[in-house]
Amino acid sequence: MRKYIYIFKSEFMSSLQYVSNVFINYIGYFIMMFMFWNLWKYMYQDEANLINGYTMNQMVWYVAMTEILWYGLGGRKLCRRITDDVRSGNITYNLNKPYSYVSYIIFSHLGEILIRTILYTVLSLTLFNSILGEFPIGNIYEALGVFITAFLAIVISILIITSIGLISFFMEDASPIYWIYSKIILVLGTLFPVEFFPMFLQKVFKFVPAYVVSYGPAKLFVDFSIDKFVEIIIVQLCYLLVSLLVANLIYKKGVKKLNVNGG
Amino acid sequence: MLTAAKRQFKISMLSTKYALMRAMVNKATFVMSIVFMILNNATFIIQYLILFSLKEDVGGYTFNQVLMLWALASGTFGVAHFFFKKAFNLSETITNGKLDAYIVQPKNILLQALTSDIDSSAIGDMLYGFILIFVSGITIKKFIFFTIFLILGGFIHVAFAVILASFSFWISRSDIIADTFNSMITHINTYPEGIFGGITRVVLYTLIPVGFISYVPVQVLTSFNIMSFIYVLLFTAFIIGLAFFMFYKGLKKYSSSNLMISKI
Repeated sequence: MRKYIYIFKSEFMSSLQYVSNVFINYIGYFIMMFMFWNLWKYMYQDEANLINGYTMNQMVWYVAMTEILWYGLGGRKLCRRITDDVRSGNITYNLNKPYSYVSYIIFSHLGEILIRTILYTVLSLTLFNSILGEFPIGNIYEALGVFITAFLAIVISILIITSIGLISFFMEDASPIYWIYSKIILVLGTLFPVEFFPMFLQKVFKFVPAYVVSYGPAKLFVDFSIDKFVEIIIVQLCYLLVSLLVANLIYKKGVKKLNVNGG
Repeated sequence: MLTAAKRQFKISMLSTKYALMRAMVNKATFVMSIVFMILNNATFIIQYLILFSLKEDVGGYTFNQVLMLWALASGTFGVAHFFFKKAFNLSETITNGKLDAYIVQPKNILLQALTSDIDSSAIGDMLYGFILIFVSGITIKKFIFFTIFLILGGFIHVAFAVILASFSFWISRSDIIADTFNSMITHINTYPEGIFGGITRVVLYTLIPVGFISYVPVQVLTSFNIMSFIYVLLFTAFIIGLAFFMFYKGLKKYSSSNLMISKI
């Protein structure tokens, strides 16, 4: 475990060199949120209205939370990194190292995104609290619950994206699969809570990754309940186990097919 | 003058053709990237189905107009990224001093740089644009104007990207700013004008020219207005001129990194 903590620490220290980039990139997040704020203001008209159980403020907080998870994760860059590792043959440098490639990716990526996610969270909570004036979290226990589910959501996302990137062992470019995955997460979990979909689809969506990587933490953030927390944690742990197994399986199968020309 | 422009156009087309041939070396990957891009864009229909189930209109747009908006957003993005992919990482090229390979060629430097690479998945964006415009109900007139707006909108996208990239001649690390604003224009393009307030709308017709890429064209395609069409034409000419001016003004400040690159 110490080697993984070292990997995490070195990536984290390296990311501190680029903190100013985080602030510039935050402009992108801010503009996205400005758009959604305008959209929901138009959809609600009267701010006291309830749509599918959500007030306008709750909807804005919901999207703010899911977008923090999405922007903080940097999924496209992670997928591109793994795909490039496989295509260029750089992955061979990891073969003779005394660690698991999948675990290496988890810890190095967590180290890379830590400061970005913290800054996005602090900036967004401050900004929206001053605009909306209604902070949804009531006490420290609720905050802890949201933190645990958000952390698990990020780890599960890293594992799923790692699995997608590792598909490059079998096909030249896995990016198109990532595009579809990212849009599924965006439409089924980031832009709308599950409650906005028809009843029969809501049951199906509990099995879609968007439920654990996006909807779960954001739902708890805007409307915390112990029952929901327990339900989401259980589904997240199942997802964590399965995605870990799948990522390792794809790596083990794929690495046998690896054919690198020397140079 | 006309002959020189004709020659430049021919060379740019050849450059695109060879880049396309390179992309088609692996046919399976090439086809898959196009098909998946169409599917990727299609997921947004779900978003609008939900929004329209909550309200009769979104930002004053009917569902048909949203289809047109998406057709234009996707199609113009496709034109810009397929023919002029390099415009979107020109900032990095300038910052890293990699323009030398284009400067030594006896042709227009900016056009040579812009057409030196293609994004094959952008074909999916263009096709998706045409699919949506057919679904929204097509006439010959609408088809012709839609195609013209795709080209003009693509040019505006590219010119905007070149202006942003040109700042790299004066400001270091402006590539992050260019990336942020380029992706911003893509996102805003897919939301109806009516959801934004007064000041934002002014910005969308000036600093971030989404209005001329999508909003005015949607108005023209819905009910034809020659003046609106002329405004789009004039704005396109203006922003292209500004892009050339900014790039060549900045080029005087360019310093090479002495990097050896072959450009065939």
